[in-house]
Amino acid sequence: MENFAFAPAYELPVWPFTPPPELNSAKLVRHPIVIVGAGPSGLTLACDLAQRGVHAVLLDEDDTVGVRGASSRGICYAQKSLEIFERLGIYERIAAKGITWSFGRTFSGEQEVYNFNLQTDGVRLEIETPAGSYAIEADRLIDATGANSPIRAQLGIEAHSSRSTDRWCISDVRFKKPLPTERWTWVDAPFNEGRGVWQHLMADGVWRIDYQMPEDCDTAYISKPEVAGARLREQLGPDVEFEFVWIGPYGYRDHLLDSFRHGRVFFIGDAAHVVSPFGARGGNSGIQDAANLGWKLALAAQGKAGDALLDSYDAERQPAARQNLQVTSRSARFLAPRSPAEHTLRRAVVALAARHPFARALVNTGRMSVANDYPPAPVLPEGARTVQNLPLHWADGRETTLMQLLAEGTQCIGLWFAPTREQALAALDATAALPLRLLAVGGESGLPTLRPDDRLAAHLGMDGAGGFALVRPDAYRAALLSNATPQAIASAARTALAHDDKTP
Amino acid sequence: MNTAPRIPDPDGFYAALLAAHEGLSEAHSADLNARLVLLLANQCADQEVLLACIRAAAEDNPTTDPTP
Repeated sequence: MENFAFAPAYELPVWPFTPPPELNSAKLVRHPIVIVGAGPSGLTLACDLAQRGVHAVLLDEDDTVGVRGASSRGICYAQKSLEIFERLGIYERIAAKGITWSFGRTFSGEQEVYNFNLQTDGVRLEIETPAGSYAIEADRLIDATGANSPIRAQLGIEAHSSRSTDRWCISDVRFKKPLPTERWTWVDAPFNEGRGVWQHLMADGVWRIDYQMPEDCDTAYISKPEVAGARLREQLGPDVEFEFVWIGPYGYRDHLLDSFRHGRVFFIGDAAHVVSPFGARGGNSGIQDAANLGWKLALAAQGKAGDALLDSYDAERQPAARQNLQVTSRSARFLAPRSPAEHTLRRAVVALAARHPFARALVNTGRMSVANDYPPAPVLPEGARTVQNLPLHWADGRETTLMQLLAEGTQCIGLWFAPTREQALAALDATAALPLRLLAVGGESGLPTLRPDDRLAAHLGMDGAGGFALVRPDAYRAALLSNATPQAIASAARTALAHDDKTP
Repeated sequence: MNTAPRIPDPDGFYAALLAAHEGLSEAHSADLNARLVLLLANQCADQEVLLACIRAAAEDNPTTDPTP
């Protein structure tokens, strides 16, 4: 029998424990924001707030990021996530990592490391450390603890979870001789008894080969090195040399909270929603949750926006998660037909797709994560859609990007196409109290001015001089005005920031 | 969904459909029908009409036992 070699485990960064100052203090410290869980969503939010100069505490159950050993990590980062990373100043390092960036997923640990107590005027947390326990209070608690959120469980919040009977087994491997860097997907691979197989390169030269297994399979048996190795041999032939990095059988489940906000507690990432892996919508949507919530928490903490703005997090991200759940469920169903009729229809799609372009659109092996549109709501009368990170130029020729503009402070950006000097002065006056940075695109207004750009105008949906687009700190277009007046601009910004008579 | 008669030669169409199924096993007939449905759906290319057709087909309640 062939012996299969294993690569050593990934080396994870470690931050040794240092006792927090609260341990030796009788004073109960109150923080504006406490985030629990340092996975992709929690870390993104913590970085986002730190960049905005907003104090937050991040709690996690261990001294590293990532999963110990060599097990599965986030793989595919979509455009919106990468744009968020550029705004946070970490995109270059991520891109340099290679094909994709490996990011550890941290699920909540098995042992209780904290508990919390919701009070009328705040949240009190009891925290266990290797050196003893202490308490802190928070104005707002962010639950980024992942799929098995203990906070959700303690609050008794229904997650509407359902478990799939579909079974898969990952083999992460390194090859001695490089393979072409192409992603290959089999809906029904002949070398896997007619079931699906995924194959693509990840960071660190590791290939992910993911095999669909029979629903009633013995997961311990199918993930034995000799069984997984024999599967690879069947696929690759006798001459391909490889070593295992990790073998992992898995099923998947989904859940979706009815509301992502419960008073002072906000749920982000897997704590709020879990979908099947097809299309990489898990980590990517968690990162977008964080980017949606970060600037709102920052403005609220700075007293520049009221509580109503925080409600918009749920109004925007819950429907996005519902949409992701629908999209991923459709992919999962295409990949795991439930009846002979579903198999027949899929056979028809695959047969026609070989010859007819129209049928290729029906082949659903996962729809890549997109930045979801947001529905009309009180702060978004027309709804909102993402604004891509277009390269821009200042009037004097210096290069910039939308993400670089948004990385400065916490404010909306108003892109105003060729306003007059009088309009610009009046608008600066009308919006002086608002977190809004007015930029001109072309013209002689005296505002900081970007070079006129047809691509930007087309992307924003702008038609001609006088048009105005209000871009939020999360790079969503909140309003589009034609022939904008200073009063209309101020009104649009107040609406987007949930400013009413009671808020500053 | 248009349910008025529109097929120019109904008998000719039906005969061609039967001919395509001739000699096929039940499974292969089902495969052929599925491919045909998808090809025809793309000719229609109207989401509302397609959904109405799916509803109409699902509502049909056969009075005869479908298994011979």
